[in-house]
Amino acid sequence: MSAIELPAAPHSGVDRSSSLCGALRELARQPRVWVGGTILLVAMLLAVFAPWIAPHDPLDQDLLHMLAPPAWAPDGSASYPLGTDGLGRCVLSRAIFGARVALTVAIAAAWGSMLLGSTLALLGGYFGGLVDRLISYVVDLWMSFPPVVLSLILLVGLGTGIDKVVLAVVLVDWTRFCRVVRADVLVTRRRDFVLAAQLIGFSHWRTMLREVLPAVVPLMITLFSIEMGIAIVVEATLSFIGLSVPPQITTWGQMLADARNDMQSAVWVLLTPVACIIVTVLACNLLGDGVRIALDPRLRQRVA
Amino acid sequence: MLQVISAIVVRRLLLAVPTLLLLSLVVFFVLRILPADPLGMLLPASATPADAAALRQQLGFDKPIPQQFLIWLWAAINGNLGISLNFRQPVSQLMMAALPATLELSFAGLILALLISIPGGVLAFVLYQRKREAAADLTVALMQSIPSFLWSLLLIAAFGVLWPVLPFSGRAGPEVALPGLTGFALVDLLLTGQFRGLVSVASHLVLPALALALGFAPLVIRVLRSSLIEAAGEPYVEVARLRGLSESRILWRHMLKNAALPTITMIGVQFGFLFGAALLVEMIFGYPGIGNLMVQAVKGNDLPLIQGIALIFCVLMLAITVIIDVLYAVLNPRMRNL
Repeated sequence: MSAIELPAAPHSGVDRSSSLCGALRELARQPRVWVGGTILLVAMLLAVFAPWIAPHDPLDQDLLHMLAPPAWAPDGSASYPLGTDGLGRCVLSRAIFGARVALTVAIAAAWGSMLLGSTLALLGGYFGGLVDRLISYVVDLWMSFPPVVLSLILLVGLGTGIDKVVLAVVLVDWTRFCRVVRADVLVTRRRDFVLAAQLIGFSHWRTMLREVLPAVVPLMITLFSIEMGIAIVVEATLSFIGLSVPPQITTWGQMLADARNDMQSAVWVLLTPVACIIVTVLACNLLGDGVRIALDPRLRQRVA
Repeated sequence: MLQVISAIVVRRLLLAVPTLLLLSLVVFFVLRILPADPLGMLLPASATPADAAALRQQLGFDKPIPQQFLIWLWAAINGNLGISLNFRQPVSQLMMAALPATLELSFAGLILALLISIPGGVLAFVLYQRKREAAADLTVALMQSIPSFLWSLLLIAAFGVLWPVLPFSGRAGPEVALPGLTGFALVDLLLTGQFRGLVSVASHLVLPALALALGFAPLVIRVLRSSLIEAAGEPYVEVARLRGLSESRILWRHMLKNAALPTITMIGVQFGFLFGAALLVEMIFGYPGIGNLMVQAVKGNDLPLIQGIALIFCVLMLAITVIIDVLYAVLNPRMRNL
């Protein structure tokens, strides 16, 4: 080690790892991140290990115990902790299995829209000019349509199935990423370290991926998390209407539709799927908010 | 003033033409990659392939897609959006009957949302100033996690089933005959002075409008709160304080006025969200609006109807943009001299 310190490159390895550590420290300080992350983790574990955790098969009908109340009610039965629905199916098991579809759609759709939207945002924001104008025009065009209406139309064209639902969400919601990330890229592109990289003679490709992209990643994580919540709601909506998946696959939206039919005789059946959706979406929103506050220096100061 | 407004309207309308064209084109092609055959439901079980071909030809589905689009476009420009496959009625007639109901519901939902979110946003801001924002933040985050269609189900469970005080199906009781003047039930009944009918329609409107409002309010609360925080740092607030104005007067008379502009912009941008939410709310409450029509059309692969409703939603969204632009120009003194 020489006595003279060399000036560090704009993004040397040391600098980056220490800023990553700092970012993780900030994240760990956010209660929102902890709460949201924990709930999502538990939901994912439940979804993955559903066949071992759920007390019953979600499709098994016990016609002797239709609309049984939850276990803590006076005439509840311990074998159906959250009661049964109108066909005598275990509500708890259906809720656990429903998490599979919800989280699959959430994660896949959020990845898809993030990849599509952010790629276009990087290209448009970095190169500007005609590319940018074209991409922005398509975004504006897309946004002049109510998202639910667009996804309904897409599903009519694509047909039903989990993969189709994911595709529909991606094709509708990429604009959300594109618009917000593009604005961030436009700001980042004018920052000194990007200019420095261009002056050193980095290729556009390298500047875009190694200098601009890392600067907008925190924003992308925030949007990813919020998008997961949106995708869960969209999936529940579509399966509530009966357009998402075939009936042998259990979803929260389907449970809502069933519960709606039995509402006059048993209101509590409604509560489980409602609670599942609210808690999971809340977790996504809290995680997204937490990441945003932790990684956005301006917000951090304001909240502190 | 009038000049500014007309300039905005003209510019927006010119921009709207290519937008509408392109969107209709996108919708048309998406609907034509359909895996299911929309004719399936129209034919009796005993139909022969020749019958199917004849019907296909009669409806124009045998022509190449670009040609089909041009035929549809020409008819649409002339005000003919085709015949619904399931209802066997002109699409435009079906939509004209349903549109006022949707507008009435959306407008009522928006008003209720503002009644909830303006005090809510101010409260969130005051709590923020007193460093007690944690509870407010959590409440807003929770509200934001409950979409309108869940509110609909919860409100029906609470006020329709457990404590049955409000009706939750349709637009009016069976005893009420809606006079078809404007299609806006509240306006029509008020004009004809039928107060019993008015009460029935209003009570049918409460739950769906509330569901819509509760889903929309947290968005407004959030933007209002952050606009107020922004406004709090502006010099005019300090000046007002030095002049000796009371804090509440500064907040309600000055800061709120300035925070209104970004809030209005946000409401305009999010109107699509409101229409989307209205679609499900209408379906759940059996409310005879355009969203309910859309759900039925989608379930029955009713292509002409879907295409027509898509067009109506685009037109509505464009109209909202114009209204918001004009409102912005009227309210923002900096725009007046342009």
